[in-house]
Amino acid sequence: MSRALAGPMIAADILKLRRHRPTMAAATALSVGVTALYLAVILARHNGQLPGARTLGDGTSLMGLYFGSFAAILIGTEAGTIDVTAGVFRDLAATGRSRTALFLTRVPAAIAVALAFTLSGFLLTVAAAFAFHGATPVPGPGLIAGSALWVVLATAVITALAVGAGSLTGSRAVTLTAIIGWQTVASGMLYLATFLGAARDLVLVFAVSRFQPGPAIGTRVNPGSTNALNNLKLPMPAVTAVLVILAWLIAAAAAGAWRTRTRDA
Amino acid sequence: MPGRPARPEAGAVTTSLAPPIIETRGLTKRFGSRTAVADVNLIVPAGCAFGFLGHNGAGKTTVIRLLTGLTQPDSGTVVVGGRPLAGHRAEVLARVGAIIEEPRFHHHLSGRENLRVIAAVRGPQARRRIEPALERVGLADRAGDRVGAYSQGMRQRLGIARCLLADPRLIILDEPMNGLDPGGILGLRGLIADLVAEGRTVFVSSHLIDEIEKTCHAAAVIDRGRLIAQGPIAALLGDGGSSLEDWFLALTSRVGARS
Repeated sequence: MSRALAGPMIAADILKLRRHRPTMAAATALSVGVTALYLAVILARHNGQLPGARTLGDGTSLMGLYFGSFAAILIGTEAGTIDVTAGVFRDLAATGRSRTALFLTRVPAAIAVALAFTLSGFLLTVAAAFAFHGATPVPGPGLIAGSALWVVLATAVITALAVGAGSLTGSRAVTLTAIIGWQTVASGMLYLATFLGAARDLVLVFAVSRFQPGPAIGTRVNPGSTNALNNLKLPMPAVTAVLVILAWLIAAAAAGAWRTRTRDA
Repeated sequence: MPGRPARPEAGAVTTSLAPPIIETRGLTKRFGSRTAVADVNLIVPAGCAFGFLGHNGAGKTTVIRLLTGLTQPDSGTVVVGGRPLAGHRAEVLARVGAIIEEPRFHHHLSGRENLRVIAAVRGPQARRRIEPALERVGLADRAGDRVGAYSQGMRQRLGIARCLLADPRLIILDEPMNGLDPGGILGLRGLIADLVAEGRTVFVSSHLIDEIEKTCHAAAVIDRGRLIAQGPIAALLGDGGSSLEDWFLALTSRVGARS
């Protein structure tokens, strides 16, 4: 597929997503909305002050692991299923354009839209960490940049996974249930299943968390706090984490592309 | 015959001599043990309005899906514009516009945005055809409205505008009159005539025999998955002076009785 064609196709996929008001409203609530609410609660509990680095860590986890990733899953799922559920896939396929190309352009489009939300939530956290740090030190530029890059990584990976799964199932409900269930409930249980040993390295969220800046492995981001957000780090080598992430991405892309090619239009 | 519609002027269209825009050979498609399309040898001359008649469930839509590469035949070949569809899908379909079953759109997008989505897939030239296509089907002033607010007739017209983005040599319309009010039907008839006058081929699948007679120069009849007649409408009817409807019903009941 030529670049001249890929650009407009990606733009068209972005258009479909950003015009979809229910998805955009939910993604806003899950990213900026939840971040604002979280910051407001912490501000109220800490008498109008936010401990800088800790707030940044919380905001990063919120966007990369928790609510921001739900927004990314929602957007990725929508990107993967929107043509099929609207009945437009048939018309796209009847143009003769490669179905693989139809699948491939969904991925960057969904990532671009999802990043707009998770990075907005993250930037809100950064702004709050500077505005309300009080007597505590503000987060350093290295930590901010590292955290931002990690949010980008986490968002891109989970969005791509959702696009692949959505394209595979063609069903919004099935995809959302499967991915959110896997990422939160199942992965949370596996995190505690220490008897599985290194087999847990294969879980996507642990591999992604491996690169999250901040507290050491297995510690709470907010120790001693009732609003503690666990990170999900396991002691795995960086190479292993990279290979696990690539394996998940390749599997999701292969499954999504295969189904898009073979789907009865 | 009083009240009988005038058949469209064949004019320059020499349906028996024009080179075929569509030619299928031995086209067969099975779904499990059921044969939906059996050994169809269809020849559609270029530059005419061609009716594809059949009762509901006769196999019309399956043939259209085979012609547009949406499903693969179990056996047989499809040649469009002189090129086999198998192996040349992108080139062949680049100049084919189709509305299959009913026109579907993203309801949350405007008419213009829906065309932008398809134009992005078709290529840069298609983008330049968006506004002329909207003008052509009379939707320019409503192009910014969400498709969810469109009537059935407007969606049908938008579907044709979507076909026009391909600058098609061949336009395939599956039951295009469904859900249209009399004004919409008249408008669509006029549009089909205009498209044919430009040298395009319009393949109209329908179970509305009267519409085919009013709109098309040539036709084929499919019954229970088998092609049982095809040719210029005048030739199909012969000199008996019967209507296409009488002829069609007699033909399909005769074939049905035989089988």
